[in-house]
Amino acid sequence: MLRQVLAVTRINLASIPQRFWLSLSTVVAVGLVVMVLLSFLSMAAGFRRTLASSGADDVAIALRAGARAEVNSVIGRDQVRLLEDAPGLVRDAQGKPVSSAELYLVVDGIKRSSQTKANLPLRGIGEQGAAVRQGIRITGGRMFAPGSNEVVVGKSLLREFEGFELGRTVRLASGNWTVVGIFEADGSVFESEIWADLPVVQSLFNRNNVFQTMRMRLTGPDALTQLVAYNDGDPRLKLEVKSEKDYFADQSSETSDLIQKLGWPLAIAMALGALAGALNTMYSSVASRSVEIATLRAIGFGGFPAFVGTLVESLLLAAIGGVLGALFAWLIFDGFSASTLGASFTQVVFSFRLTPGLIGQGIALALVVGLIGGLLPAIRAARMPIVQGLQG
Amino acid sequence: MNDFLLIRKNLFRKKLRAILMIVSILVAFAIFGVLAAFERAFNAGEEVSEADRLVVVNKINFTQPLPIAYFNRVAAVEGVRQVTFANWFGGYYQDPKNFTVVMAVEPESYLKLISTEYAFTPEMTEAFVRNRTGALVGEQLAAKWGWKVGDRIPISSSIFSQKNGSTAWDVTIVGIFGKNKPQADTTLMLIQYAYFDETRSFGKDTIGWLVLKTASPALNDQVAKSIDGMFANSPYETATDTEKAFNKAFVAQLGNIALIVQLVVGAAFVTILMIVGNTMVMAIRERTREIAVLKTLGFSGGRVLRLVLGETLLLALIGGTAGLLLAWLATRAMSQSLGNFIPGLSLSPGIVAAAIGFMVLLGLATGLVPALNAFRLRIADGMGRG
Repeated sequence: MLRQVLAVTRINLASIPQRFWLSLSTVVAVGLVVMVLLSFLSMAAGFRRTLASSGADDVAIALRAGARAEVNSVIGRDQVRLLEDAPGLVRDAQGKPVSSAELYLVVDGIKRSSQTKANLPLRGIGEQGAAVRQGIRITGGRMFAPGSNEVVVGKSLLREFEGFELGRTVRLASGNWTVVGIFEADGSVFESEIWADLPVVQSLFNRNNVFQTMRMRLTGPDALTQLVAYNDGDPRLKLEVKSEKDYFADQSSETSDLIQKLGWPLAIAMALGALAGALNTMYSSVASRSVEIATLRAIGFGGFPAFVGTLVESLLLAAIGGVLGALFAWLIFDGFSASTLGASFTQVVFSFRLTPGLIGQGIALALVVGLIGGLLPAIRAARMPIVQGLQG
Repeated sequence: MNDFLLIRKNLFRKKLRAILMIVSILVAFAIFGVLAAFERAFNAGEEVSEADRLVVVNKINFTQPLPIAYFNRVAAVEGVRQVTFANWFGGYYQDPKNFTVVMAVEPESYLKLISTEYAFTPEMTEAFVRNRTGALVGEQLAAKWGWKVGDRIPISSSIFSQKNGSTAWDVTIVGIFGKNKPQADTTLMLIQYAYFDETRSFGKDTIGWLVLKTASPALNDQVAKSIDGMFANSPYETATDTEKAFNKAFVAQLGNIALIVQLVVGAAFVTILMIVGNTMVMAIRERTREIAVLKTLGFSGGRVLRLVLGETLLLALIGGTAGLLLAWLATRAMSQSLGNFIPGLSLSPGIVAAAIGFMVLLGLATGLVPALNAFRLRIADGMGRG
């Protein structure tokens, strides 16, 4: 039996070149389906990863209740002082907490790809602004000097937007600012930001004594609960306090869900089209080999080998399509840099990420098309009456 | 027997094969219809914008404020016919997740300026001007929450708070307005700037942006230059642009939506072109002997060519029309669930016309090779083969 199956399968595969163009169209159709699916999934994964790597577990962020995004939030000087006295914060030798009250403003930049204006975040950070975040490294130039009109820019921002090269002067609000450094931040969303000294930003943007968010480094896993209890217990605070990780996870979910919700239905619709093509190819394959199949049956081969042979041919074509689609998706999209408007109404730069898990999903979809596309024709091949088959 | 009957009989000779081809064409056109509708909805702002309208924003970025004094100063600029201003409220209803477009506006001038896209009755205009805590609500937004004229509702801000610490403002709905242009979006609320400005805890006497109408589109550049020049080197410099350019730049911030749509639609069409094209070549090859018989009966080469092309055209039209129908149903269903996020999702006559054009192209492209083969076929060869 096994030998019969192998023999028929070999005949099936050897006959593919006879239907070269039709088989190729199935391969290409399946390949394109997989490419479209993977382009959307890798976009969603890249966006999610950029935001996920931005948030730390041991950093708490305080925003105005209901603000949802840093750009909307407003916190007063008194509230910042109260938070500095909160329990659960890491403190230095002088008892000062490792925290950063910040101002988050939106300024214009020019997007390289479209040459249109885009919203970029300008963040005024405190002395501990870099220390409260992990993995901040200056890769070119130096950090801005406190009290000066100097900025440092994230390397992703530099890649996607014009005018922020090292040494350039940028006019923002009523002052000229010099770009003195480029920084890296573990691929997080901070790499899409411009940073400057908080008091300078406050005064040049007429926002004296106004803050938007406060970041605080926590002592341990229980510290967040203490901090939240402290905040909720003081009527002067009543802010929204959560871990930075949760804050960014909330921000990523909407956009990446939307991308995935577009990607899957599109890919499934296209897969239906490809399925129609696969069925056509396989029915033609069975029809063109009807004499062969009937002859084999006449000399004692069972229906099962004919069934397996057809199914394997279909699965093989789909698998080739799936692998090629994944390969091209990887070549074209993996690492592809793009930017979109994030929850804070500013551009978030991210890179498409094609993970092995996603490739697995793409190839699984290809095999489903191959399986369904081969099943019905395979049943027809197995059930074909010998006499009718021999007549051609 | 006329040619059309022959074409129809030929196409459906192998029913399953014809249906499979129709399905793959249907899918491609359904994808085209839905994505084109999405792209159009994203660009709706650009479409409804008026040629003589300019937007004045803070040069740093449009989220930065401008002083309210600019309203009168811009009104005095030569070539400015009407001007108004608005302030973004950052609104939500009940839960911060229920994001709602709310703008604080100067009632009289604002309603007058945007009356080209929105239908305001004289009664609601008067009620809005007279009632300090009044609000005008667009049809779609009112329908979403079941609001009626006379309802008093709290509308919250994710940005501003009142001097008394509250983040919600109570407003009374004094009118529900419809639209004059099909692409206009009515999921918005307008409240009085005066009420908002007096009660908010910070940002007093600042506005978000100005919208103005020039005396003629030819004056746009000149007016924009005089406005930006007037405020140059002040603490609040301005950037003045046409409404169209402003909307276009905003949509571009989301990403290159047009490119994504083109790539996906392109992939879908390449797929059907290959599947249908190859299947048709095969189908006509199977019929080689019949074509030779037709020619023997006196059918000219041209007529045989037309028969084959007619068959692929018919196929493309059946599949394409069904696909468009499906896209129409899908966009209708989606415009209800996504209405708040992407307003104005619908199949426009332009999309339908483009689709019909693609159907004809597809029919000709897939039929070309088999039709030429049939055209060139010599009777002796045809009888010998198959």
